[in-house]
Amino acid sequence: MGKLDGKVACITGGTRSIGRAMAEAFIAEGAKVVVNGRDEAKGQACLDEMGAGDNAAFFPGDVSKQEAVEGLIDFTIEKYGHLDICCLNSGGVLMTAPVFQMTDEEWELEINWNLNHVFWGMRRALQHMIPRESGRIIVTSSVEGKLGKPGIPGYSATKHAVNGLVKSAAHEVGTLGITVNAILPGLIETDIVLATGPDSALAMGLGSYENLIDAFTSESAIKRPNKVEEVAAVAVLMASDAAKNMTGCLFPVDGGTMPY
Amino acid sequence: MGILDGRVACITGGTRGIGLGIAKGFLDEGAMVVVNGRDKSKAERTLAELDAGDRAHYIAGDVKQRESCEAIVNGTVDHFGRIDILVANAGGASGHAPIVDLTDEAMQDSMVWNFWHTFWTMRAAFKHMIPQQYGRVMCVSSLEGKVGKPGISIYVAAKHAINGLTKSAAHEVGTLGITVNALCPGAIETDIMKSEGPPAAKSMGMDYDGLLNMFAQESAIKKLNEVEDVAAVATLLASDAGAGITGSLISIDGGTAPY
Repeated sequence: MGKLDGKVACITGGTRSIGRAMAEAFIAEGAKVVVNGRDEAKGQACLDEMGAGDNAAFFPGDVSKQEAVEGLIDFTIEKYGHLDICCLNSGGVLMTAPVFQMTDEEWELEINWNLNHVFWGMRRALQHMIPRESGRIIVTSSVEGKLGKPGIPGYSATKHAVNGLVKSAAHEVGTLGITVNAILPGLIETDIVLATGPDSALAMGLGSYENLIDAFTSESAIKRPNKVEEVAAVAVLMASDAAKNMTGCLFPVDGGTMPY
Repeated sequence: MGILDGRVACITGGTRGIGLGIAKGFLDEGAMVVVNGRDKSKAERTLAELDAGDRAHYIAGDVKQRESCEAIVNGTVDHFGRIDILVANAGGASGHAPIVDLTDEAMQDSMVWNFWHTFWTMRAAFKHMIPQQYGRVMCVSSLEGKVGKPGISIYVAAKHAINGLTKSAAHEVGTLGITVNALCPGAIETDIMKSEGPPAAKSMGMDYDGLLNMFAQESAIKKLNEVEDVAAVATLLASDAGAGITGSLISIDGGTAPY
């Protein structure tokens, strides 16, 4: 008996790190899960490592593109018959730079990747969930959705925007059995952070990756990065029946960093 | 196999309402639980309702007294050998009035009932949790710990104070394996709400049904919350998976609080 028996979920950016931890936690609670990622090989490796058989599938695609996000939702419904839980988790930055050096190309990418992807996915999922009067939308936002650090203006702006979208959407569908929530993790040493952290540290004037990690964790109460499992546990709660009356919530998983 | 197997919890005001719901949630996950209430005679009824045998224990005490608060926490350690989880849940307010007409007694009573009780139990619990380098403290705050309605300032001020205490405390013990969080539920029709709601409504210039309706209409779900909503979040925070969540003011209010 799992908390998510019979439920169907899809997760953008679900082959590694936070999304992967959500996928594994959902499967452990009885759900069927479609994970998404850009790279077919990583997708296959993810399915092999999770070993969930028919309860997991992979849908390739770059979620900074509308077709990929809508394709994931449609594929999930086609594959498993319906969609109960839509996790819009993918996000990040490619280039870190202060505003005065920010390029239009990077800005547009971040808007598409972090904000538009969430809107495209939410809209498509709600079109399916509203007639069923049941659903869970879970958005991976960030501590930067409430704060702002130098050198990552696009990330802060898009994560703030996502939080606003979540609150509006929650009120739109609040009486229809659908909840819309955001999880706001603090720094987690995910693959994306490991890959882009050194450049980010330079753009933020911090010198080294270690200094970047220190800069984030020193603001927290726990003085360490968060863990993907901590985010996954909150996602399971939000996905479960027990959280039917929790919506519009910006749930921090940041070791005590954000002030409100 | 529960996610709280072997853990010992202490819940102030756990004989009914939110506290009782949290106690049930913890017991379902394998914890041992002390519930508290003012009245010794309620012990039997509460323990019967929990139906958990030796895993549930009742300690009588009025949380408006410092000695009682300390006795509830220390009594938990005496009975079960340790304390892993404190839920400072008791609270309420009576004597509501607009500030211009508010009495010192009403403000003082609310601060003692809600805020001082939270401080006294937290301090007593830390004395056990810091040496063992493990603990989970949850303060049952309120939506009104984040916003403010007219006519109920005694409650709003006390719950805001609890949220501030929560944030400071989280930073004090953040590296010691101890988390401190506040739960901020929206309106729930508990026994306390039924008894204190009508005078609160009057102070706000409306009747009780109008008060409940106002809370529901502010939310996204257009209805009140339930104790089980709060218990589910409390159980997550109490578990090992909650280790990285601290200093958080978690809204369980159907989408009402703006932040």
